Amino acid sequence: MIERIDGLPTNIINGYKVRPGKPLPFGVSHVPNGLNFSAYTSAGTGCTLVLFSRGVLEPFAEIEFPKSYRIGDVFCMIVFDLDYEDLEYGYRIDGPFQPEAGHRFNKECILMDPYTKLVSGRDVWGEEPDWNAQIYHYRSRVSFDDFDWEDDSPLEFPPEDLLIYEAHVRGFTKSASAKVAHPGTYAGLAEKIPYLKRLGINAIELMPIFEFDEFENSRIHPETGEKLYNYWGYSTLGFFAPKAAYAATGRHGMQVDELKQLVKNLHSNGIEVILDVVFNHTAEGNENGPTLSFKGLDNKTYYMLTPEGYYFNFSGTGNTLNCNNPIVRSLVLDCLRYWASEYHIDGFRFDLASILGRDPLGYPLSNPPLLESLAFDPILSACKLIAEAWDAGGLYQVGSFPAFGRWSEWNGKYRDCLRKFLKGDAAQVGELAQRVQGSPDLYQSSGRTPATSINFITCHDGFTLADLTSFNEKHNSSNGEDNRDGGNDNHSWNCGAEGWTDNAGILALRQKQMMNAFALLLTSRGVPMFVMGDEFGRSQQGNNNAYCLDSSLSWVDWLQLKANHQLFDFVTSLIAFRKSHPCLRVNKFDTTITTIGLPSSSFHGTSAWSPDWSQESRQLAWMFCLDGIGTGNSDVDLVYVIANMAPSTSWFSCPELPNGLRWCVAFNTGDPAGPVLKHEATVDKHGLLVGERSVIIMTA
Amino acid sequence: MTLDLARSSLNGWQVVTITGQIDSKTVSLLRDFLAKEVKIDEPLALELSGVPFMSSAGLRTMLTLERQTKSHGVDLALLGLRSEIADTMKVTGFYQYFTNYESASSLPSKSEPST
Repeated sequence: MIERIDGLPTNIINGYKVRPGKPLPFGVSHVPNGLNFSAYTSAGTGCTLVLFSRGVLEPFAEIEFPKSYRIGDVFCMIVFDLDYEDLEYGYRIDGPFQPEAGHRFNKECILMDPYTKLVSGRDVWGEEPDWNAQIYHYRSRVSFDDFDWEDDSPLEFPPEDLLIYEAHVRGFTKSASAKVAHPGTYAGLAEKIPYLKRLGINAIELMPIFEFDEFENSRIHPETGEKLYNYWGYSTLGFFAPKAAYAATGRHGMQVDELKQLVKNLHSNGIEVILDVVFNHTAEGNENGPTLSFKGLDNKTYYMLTPEGYYFNFSGTGNTLNCNNPIVRSLVLDCLRYWASEYHIDGFRFDLASILGRDPLGYPLSNPPLLESLAFDPILSACKLIAEAWDAGGLYQVGSFPAFGRWSEWNGKYRDCLRKFLKGDAAQVGELAQRVQGSPDLYQSSGRTPATSINFITCHDGFTLADLTSFNEKHNSSNGEDNRDGGNDNHSWNCGAEGWTDNAGILALRQKQMMNAFALLLTSRGVPMFVMGDEFGRSQQGNNNAYCLDSSLSWVDWLQLKANHQLFDFVTSLIAFRKSHPCLRVNKFDTTITTIGLPSSSFHGTSAWSPDWSQESRQLAWMFCLDGIGTGNSDVDLVYVIANMAPSTSWFSCPELPNGLRWCVAFNTGDPAGPVLKHEATVDKHGLLVGERSVIIMTA
Repeated sequence: MTLDLARSSLNGWQVVTITGQIDSKTVSLLRDFLAKEVKIDEPLALELSGVPFMSSAGLRTMLTLERQTKSHGVDLALLGLRSEIADTMKVTGFYQYFTNYESASSLPSKSEPST
């Protein structure tokens, strides 16, 4: 075999064999006999590669890039004969420290490579570093991207068929009640896959798994004095690196393989993986925050800065990533391509996505290049792109997020309307009709479809479903901010007592309200999503912002599954029902008349075909109909939902059915015998009684 | 960092006994030994009870070896794998590719005709 010439060194610097490198790809990559290091800085005047042995405080070598090793704004160098498994590296960048001009170069700082695929330094959750001795906390490492995927590939389910389950990797199995071998890890989550299959969901949305520092929070618990964490992880350090401390093998640096194995296992069990990604800001904070990577590499490129050189704060966390700068745009695109191709990720949910549509001065763009690039990227073409279509700077784009025919949205309006309707607020029925259809008022005129709407009533942010029915007010004192943090517009109702109670009537009502919520969510068109543990009534004791609580308060308590098996059975039955009724998953706004003479969607009140749209109405029924399905005894699929959120029982007549069809009740949250009917009960042709604050679901 | 390596034969198997940590610093010793001392088209067993740790590089060498033996249609067995390493292999997906035995005495004989 002929040996490549570029596998041989051309220079020796400080005793290390090197040669000029290649500018692309950025980061570190394997080349014959060595590693290629490539770092971008437009205003930096010099770059030094700093090399450490794994876990050793002091570097074993520093190699300054010769001037001739710079191509454009990229320093690139191949270093030979490094033990890349034991290697940790960083950069020192020389340049001006002129904050007013946007420059914050500091050669004293050792910087993490923004393209690093592996980060060490926080390998085991909660294991404190030596804060005084450590000169380089978050260390870039070299990964092996040679995982054997066999025949795995992303599942590419049609978006309208998704049932999304939002989960926190650590919180899902950290409790001893999870009874897994590796609590709080990717491996622990993998052990719970049989549970997820039993539940019936087909997509799991993981809260941030990009490397972050759980020690970023400086607050302490006001009662226990314990250190609070950044538990949720919405503060990215390394966009290309999986959180090491979420891996049972993180201490051995094998988080890449462990996470890939989890994805592979989920796929083989018919579950897509969606990542919650945070591109709106980084962990470096504002001018008072640390210099970890971007600030020291090219502050002016990576961050939105005021004309005076301060940080714009559209994220509410101190800084804002300059997403529509071409360099940053490339970084985001490279990052997502990497996760889609190397980790087989099926989709991404973008935290505070509206920031991604702002220009470098913060003004919303009408045609944001980053969002367009993501929408039309060939590698991401089958990935789900989901926007949290607002930001902390006041931009609210639910219904108007620049979609390019690709983006769907967390529908905050669905959440608010459903919550208000469930608690019996007036003036909700008209909007509810829009929401359960997939929000045509928001999406139809722009040619978007019901699956654009990610329907949810609860998510990680805010009350769990159990707390939504148990608390009128947030109870966040444990967060160390005197209950100031967290939203106040929860639209929650405690059903008669704040928090814990032994009042059987109140407890029964809360249980019914949780079932009502699931009944409406899982019979709405659009894509349903709920947060881990809601299916058996997980509580956070009224805390609606548990971002900092790494404790039993925020971990899933699996004993609750047994305690509230009725709710779990109800949810699994409803999910199975949704899967077997395609009329609930229609992905077009359609009011045409089907072949049996009924419209695709229609609304009703206590009298069929006569919905009460008045301000005082708290009752609505709707019928979804789909023909041409060509399965079973009938060519037609019909579902009728009656939602009576009034505090009194009412008689509802039902639409007449043709062709000898008859309505049968499948679920009744107001049935004292249980909400899931073992044998579907035929409905009297004149109608039926619907209990107060109850939902009935029928099919024909 | 050293790795002790020895080859023996048992019931039609080539048995390589490895003692020491297999990581990026020692893995080349193992590779060189295998290339020199082992016939890749005959059943191979690696005695690992003396291996307290196997890094990512070590696991990858094992998997490469598995692919090589598989391509020749011969068996590769791991003997005495420590539970910590087995656990790492399970959660990272390596374990499924290997046949494990407690010790060399558990190895099925390759001298006898298969039934």
